[in-house]
Amino acid sequence: MVMLRRKTWRDIKENFGIYLACIMVIALGLLLYTSMSIAVESMDKAQQDFYAETNFADGFITVTGYPENKVNSLTFLPGIDQAAGRIVKEVRVIDQQEDSNRYLKMVTLNEANVPQINLIQLIEGQLPNENQPEILVDPKFLVANHLSLGDSIDVSIDGNQVSLYITGTAQSPEFIYIMRNAQDIYPSAEEFGIAYVPLSTLKALVKEKGQVNDIVITLKPGVSFDSVKDSLQAELKPYGVRSIVPRKDQTSHAILTSEIKQIRTMTKTLPVVFLGVAAIILYTMLRRLIEQQRVAIGTLKAFGFTDREIVLHYLTYPVVIGTTGGLLGGLSGVALSFPLTMMYKEFFALPGLKSEFSLKYLFFSLALAFVFSVLSGVKGSLDILRLEPSEAMRPPAPGTARKTLIEKFTWFWQTLSSQAQMGIRDVFRTPTRSLFNVIGIAVVYSLMTVSWSMQNMTDLLTVVQLEQVQTYDVKLQLTEPSPAGAVKFALAHDPGVSKVEPVLEVPASLRCGWLKKDVALMGLSEESTLYNILDKSGRRLEVPHHGVLLSEHLAKSLNVKVGDIIYVESPLRRETLSQKGENLLVTGVVPQYVGLNAFMKDTELQRFLRQGEISTSMLIQMDSAEIGSMKSKYQNASNVSSIESLKDTGAKIQKMMESFGFTVWLLAILGGFCGFALIYNASIISLSERKRELASLRVLGMTPREVLRVITSEQWALYAFGILLGIPMAYGLSMSMAQSMSNDMYSLPADLPPMALLGAAAGTAFSVLVAQSRAYYKIKSLPYVEILATRD
Amino acid sequence: MDVLMEGKDLRKHYRTGEVEIEVLKGIKFQIFYGEFIVVLGQSGSGKTTLLNIIGGMTQASTGELYYKEQPLHEIDDQELTLFRRNEVGFVFQNYNLMPNLTAYENVRLAVEIAQNPLSVSDILREVGLENWSDHFPSQLSGGQQQRVAIARAIVKNPELLLCDEPTGALDIQTGIQVLKALQKLNREYHKTVIIITHNVEIAKMANRVFYLKDGLLDDVKVIEKPLCPEEISW
Repeated sequence: MVMLRRKTWRDIKENFGIYLACIMVIALGLLLYTSMSIAVESMDKAQQDFYAETNFADGFITVTGYPENKVNSLTFLPGIDQAAGRIVKEVRVIDQQEDSNRYLKMVTLNEANVPQINLIQLIEGQLPNENQPEILVDPKFLVANHLSLGDSIDVSIDGNQVSLYITGTAQSPEFIYIMRNAQDIYPSAEEFGIAYVPLSTLKALVKEKGQVNDIVITLKPGVSFDSVKDSLQAELKPYGVRSIVPRKDQTSHAILTSEIKQIRTMTKTLPVVFLGVAAIILYTMLRRLIEQQRVAIGTLKAFGFTDREIVLHYLTYPVVIGTTGGLLGGLSGVALSFPLTMMYKEFFALPGLKSEFSLKYLFFSLALAFVFSVLSGVKGSLDILRLEPSEAMRPPAPGTARKTLIEKFTWFWQTLSSQAQMGIRDVFRTPTRSLFNVIGIAVVYSLMTVSWSMQNMTDLLTVVQLEQVQTYDVKLQLTEPSPAGAVKFALAHDPGVSKVEPVLEVPASLRCGWLKKDVALMGLSEESTLYNILDKSGRRLEVPHHGVLLSEHLAKSLNVKVGDIIYVESPLRRETLSQKGENLLVTGVVPQYVGLNAFMKDTELQRFLRQGEISTSMLIQMDSAEIGSMKSKYQNASNVSSIESLKDTGAKIQKMMESFGFTVWLLAILGGFCGFALIYNASIISLSERKRELASLRVLGMTPREVLRVITSEQWALYAFGILLGIPMAYGLSMSMAQSMSNDMYSLPADLPPMALLGAAAGTAFSVLVAQSRAYYKIKSLPYVEILATRD
Repeated sequence: MDVLMEGKDLRKHYRTGEVEIEVLKGIKFQIFYGEFIVVLGQSGSGKTTLLNIIGGMTQASTGELYYKEQPLHEIDDQELTLFRRNEVGFVFQNYNLMPNLTAYENVRLAVEIAQNPLSVSDILREVGLENWSDHFPSQLSGGQQQRVAIARAIVKNPELLLCDEPTGALDIQTGIQVLKALQKLNREYHKTVIIITHNVEIAKMANRVFYLKDGLLDDVKVIEKPLCPEEISW
């Protein structure tokens, strides 16, 4: 059928703009699908491979001190396969800059005679020698601090200042995503890194001798972590167990896994939205093409072309569009997967992470595009089969003329111009096409709403967190929980300090039925003004005298509501024989956007812990000019683990929010493009269908702009219905996005502020206007005399 | 003469909205091999419907229709398509050419489905368009377009050539050129040609004239000495 193929090419060439828009929408959807799928598959593979190569631990235990020679005996506990003891010590890097805040987590390397768990992979240089002040550091810390192999770093370990030489860089499966602690929200390679040091070297430098403070274990195949946790807890209790964390909750693993899950969800949803819009465009376009070529179809039938041959001919259009879009999207997606994977590599230090050319995903994207196009094409071209050739040769019978629903509102209808009445009537006279367009606009609108609201939210979160929740200037973290009074007294007399509030933050396990969550339980004083708990409308809430307040995300994770009882345990609690933990009443559920905490009154938390009046950090309000000198005074103190100003925290929050910005803008732009393509297609169809009507209006003496109103009235009517349908869709999308993007570090609310609804309506309207401006130029150049002189 | 086609009591009714219209009310006829037939009648007399039934474009609601003794009224859509593909060539009043295919390509389109096609170039030469084959329909005059349509109809080498008002959209000079082409096909290639028209002058070229009135075959007139197109005028 060479001639029919030639006809297809020429038809496509004549309406190239609309076909191109459709190709672009398909290509964009598949670009996202292919690039994200390849990236996520590479990440998943790199993670699995790295874990397998390095024998990544199943459990992570921190204790005050456990005899080094007893570690192996832990394997006698049922379910435990291997156990290795380490010393893990966070040390401050000493340098010339007074207010510099750099820390290294020193992790000892496994000795040859212990099980090899969490092996490191040497990236560059060589392993440090035993008993020598030599270390390996993580590559990001080296680069961020402009260090080279052979350089030395001065650190303060248990009060001793030591120079450590960097012999190389290495990567451990435990620190793929490096964060100082779970409360931190964004990695900062400049301020915090990992150093790997021989056990013999660190042993000589620390106070505790013959002891380890960190144990990693692997489990026997098929054993669940929960089944060994209790026996571990009992065994380690006398040695001051601080935390027992399963692999799934280990910070780096949890973040990497949740990121992989999140991208995977997006690869399944986003492309469907784009392909759906493309399918709507293809369907309406093909229906119109078939209507337009009714006589040609009749002629082909009269010649003796079979229905199959004709349907196949008309399917060529969607197939050509789909395949071109699929190929374009697939290939550019493969190309984009390389920089995308590199971007993920910036965040996740996975040694084997690299993108590869993937024929599989190229094929998948082609197949997806093909299936979507053919389905919309089949739906659009099936009417051909119903046409009898003699009937096809006649112009279609005029549609049944009936007043539309909207005309019953005569007061409204009468106010409309004739052009607007023509346009609006057409919305109701082609209900299927109108419905598809309304759905398309609703999808575009909801995409824009969500991206707008996320942008609003992230801005808002930064402001709320830094100006209303964390109202302190400096936070000083203590190495050990300490009596609150003495520290508070000392700090209150420092220059520039106007207020000091002790805070107690302890690790705790919260349980409700089989649901369990490990979080930081925060004890605040009743009159606390430097850390505020806010309700949904931003009003400050008092910490209750009894019971516990949970953040919304936490309450959801535990499936509890106000009035429920949860069981709370903490490694810092002094237990009695009968009571390991305690049942606490949930007295409130509050929004918390940054971090994941439960809150109690400080005295209530102290009562729960049975450790007396202790605190773990101090919140300080002070003159900003004095912050530098306070930092230099306390950063070397042995009982201070870190001192951080709100400015530092703000910078980190800002950085995290910026990372959302890209996704949000990408969504908005892509949504806008879809809207443009959809409306442009609708304009072209309206123009071709109504060219006689429009030409008559031009002959009557109307200007192109007046004639355009027929088309724009139809489109604004579709737009209005689209927005109405889009609002509930946006709520649904916003809820699922918030849910999928929230994690233990931050939670995004699912609210849609009115500004987002209005902003997205304006954004969608803008893409409609751009598409209409194209229609205007077509009307301007409408050869109306010729159109009226020819027969349809 | 052998009978090529025979219709017995053909009736056809349509439903338009809520109204049912009987267009053919029982027509009986015979068409012989190699005949030149003109069907005359006023608008609404059922000419086009009869032509559509003869050409397999639609089927009669009741009645029998035989082509080369095969019952066309009993065959399904697929067989009807094959009948049109192999036996019939159509020429329409409004040409119905594919606007984005050239004259040559429009004719070639029909060749692609034909069992025993003729040469596209030969046929274009026969209709006097050998120098216009690369032109698109919009670059041709009405008469030229109609001659492309005739070329497209006969290139399949059909037994039956059906023409619906082939000169309806043309001026007299161009119309005569088109009629000459049709008569040549009938006389030199022995194709059976049926023309429907309301132009009584064209009837003078026919072997027989069918007069249709109100959906019935009112009269059949045999023309002893058919005229050449040059001898008629309107």
